[in-house]
Amino acid sequence: MNCDCVNRGPPAAGSVGRCRLPAVTLVVAAALILTACDGRGDAGRQGSVIKFSGSALGAEGTLVARQIDRFNGLHPDIQVELQRTPDDATQRHQLYVQWLNARVGNPDILMLDAIWTPEFAAAGWILPLRPFAPAPADFFRATIEANTWAGELYALPWFADVGLLYRRIDLVPTEPRSLSELATAARGAMARPGGPRYGIVWQGARYEGLITTFIEYLGAFGGRILDENGQVAINRPEAVRAVTFMRDQLYGSRIAPLEVLTWHEEEARFAFQNGNAVFMRNWPYAYEPMSDTAESRVAGKYAVSPMPGAPGGRSTAALGGAQLAINAYSESPRAAYRLIAYLTAPEQMIERAQAVGQYPTRPALYDDPRLAAVRSIPLEQAKRAIENATPRPVTPIYTEMSEILQIELHRALVRQAEPQAALDAAAKRIDALIDRTGMRKLTQGTTR
Amino acid sequence: MRSEARLGWLLVAPAVGVIALIAIFPLGWTVWESLHMHELRMPWLGKPFVGLDNYAEIAGDPRFWAALGHTAFFTVTSITLELVIGLFLALAMNRVFRGRGFVRAAILVPWAIPTVVAALLWRFMFESEGGIANAVLVDAKILSEPIVWFIETGTAWVPVILADVWKTTPFVALLLLAGLQNIDLSLYEAAAVDGANGWWQLRHITIPLLKPAILVTLIFRTLDGFRVFDLIYVLTGGGPGTSTEPVALYTFNALLQNLRFGYGSALSVVIFAITFGLAMLYVKGLGVRLGGEER
Repeated sequence: MNCDCVNRGPPAAGSVGRCRLPAVTLVVAAALILTACDGRGDAGRQGSVIKFSGSALGAEGTLVARQIDRFNGLHPDIQVELQRTPDDATQRHQLYVQWLNARVGNPDILMLDAIWTPEFAAAGWILPLRPFAPAPADFFRATIEANTWAGELYALPWFADVGLLYRRIDLVPTEPRSLSELATAARGAMARPGGPRYGIVWQGARYEGLITTFIEYLGAFGGRILDENGQVAINRPEAVRAVTFMRDQLYGSRIAPLEVLTWHEEEARFAFQNGNAVFMRNWPYAYEPMSDTAESRVAGKYAVSPMPGAPGGRSTAALGGAQLAINAYSESPRAAYRLIAYLTAPEQMIERAQAVGQYPTRPALYDDPRLAAVRSIPLEQAKRAIENATPRPVTPIYTEMSEILQIELHRALVRQAEPQAALDAAAKRIDALIDRTGMRKLTQGTTR
Repeated sequence: MRSEARLGWLLVAPAVGVIALIAIFPLGWTVWESLHMHELRMPWLGKPFVGLDNYAEIAGDPRFWAALGHTAFFTVTSITLELVIGLFLALAMNRVFRGRGFVRAAILVPWAIPTVVAALLWRFMFESEGGIANAVLVDAKILSEPIVWFIETGTAWVPVILADVWKTTPFVALLLLAGLQNIDLSLYEAAAVDGANGWWQLRHITIPLLKPAILVTLIFRTLDGFRVFDLIYVLTGGGPGTSTEPVALYTFNALLQNLRFGYGSALSVVIFAITFGLAMLYVKGLGVRLGGEER
């Protein structure tokens, strides 16, 4: 019944229904015009109107609104509007990519995740900042490295997120200086009467969080995902040692529960907060809520330090956080840069740290007494961790590369594959990805 | 007569136009897109016409073939269970007993729950070592100690299949019940007079006469099963590794996560071709009459 219409329909619509067509076209056209008006009606502009986009939820949203108001007051020639975009990074990314493919100049300022800058830069969607004379030397080295593509700086780091090792100071008073010290301390504390069930908890589900966990072990053993020439280095002996060490935590020394292979940040935090773990790998966000005695059994009993290193490598922390960049299709890039400079200025960063506890990206601020007063930031350790931070591979194809690695790593950790075999498979697939996307040519062509 | 035919065409034209707009146009567009390399994230690659390259890549992609295998496994296993359990439920509901209307309505509750919510429920039950599933199985001495369900392929399938069976069996049962109610009761009376027992009646009267209803159920469920997405997305995310990943999840990943429009479109076309082929197979090969001439 229905199939008949489908099969015979289209030719009929063309030949017989012709007289109907103009009416339909009219309706569609009217609808299009209406939508168009909705989008960009307010063309009356005095000075520059720029749109700032970013996650604007809760306290963070209030803070951004306040800072933008202040900026508007200071710069009568620029009018900044806040355009709300999804808080969820993946959704925001998808939205940005759609807009930029359509060459939309709004929002003028994009809030980028730590791993997007090279992608957007290589696509020509954001402007190099050199013409605006930024001062990259004032920021942490790793945060600038993450925002540099083909020798050009494309975004300024707004706030930093960094992988930290949380530890129960009542069980392990001093911070472990190496991974083997960490394992010994974890076993020791678990063996004590009434000791926690787990030695260490981390993010091991198959998602981006697994890569941030892995990168810290990888760096600890001296390995890298891509080497300095952009060659795939993920199946070299150091990486195999790192994966083997992680596997040993699960199946050998059994300091990490198998459940971590399904865990994200919050599951790990709950385990640690309930007093079930000696160590936890997590982001700075966990610091504040766990100090709440009503919810946490470990309030006042924990401290953070950078993840320790191992022989052949060094202490490494994964780097996250947000960056601000200028939309390449923006009509007022100068005004946009002035807002970025304002938001990433010391005053605003300190205000941000005070209001929402996010880490400044300027090392000099860690000596500022106003920051020392922010209880939720362990200054010395935070600074040390960011100084030890490594950006994830700075490449436009990071997301797909990460997906390959997530799958193969997870396969190795759940023992579907041996570490060497899994990493070889990952290397092979990443190589194919680099070829398919023309990355080799692109890197050679643009790095001069 | 001619003018009448013309009027007829005119009257169906809007409907045909809508179908063309919402079904044929997107399909054609997807096919066209699948012949290009179109990486939304990599504008420097342009959007060159690559002919059947994307299809060649699919053919040589072990992850696709594995995903196809997982989809087939999921479809066959869950549908078999749903048909068997659904038939029992339908037979039970077909009997006359007090509160039958209530039971018929109550049985539909799982079906009414949105898949994502149902998937989350099942995930909570199986997720942690202290979850209900582990507690029940350890108490019943089926397991000696709690296990982590989602890190081994074999155990990761258990909640997936269970959740689908739990959610969809009521639907199957209802379709079969409709079929059961079409069977003339006098056949059973005659059989009983001839001394046929219940099992014989089931095999020689109920099941043959239920064949059209079973086939309709099979079509619905196979096509649904083949496009399974939300359940697995929430429950296992396709893991561990990619060992429970169905084709729809793989396509979603290529198309919407990695924004590979060309390759993702080619995958969508392949799924479309497979489901369409399956539907055809059922309709032609198994002799289901959708038009209603039979009867």
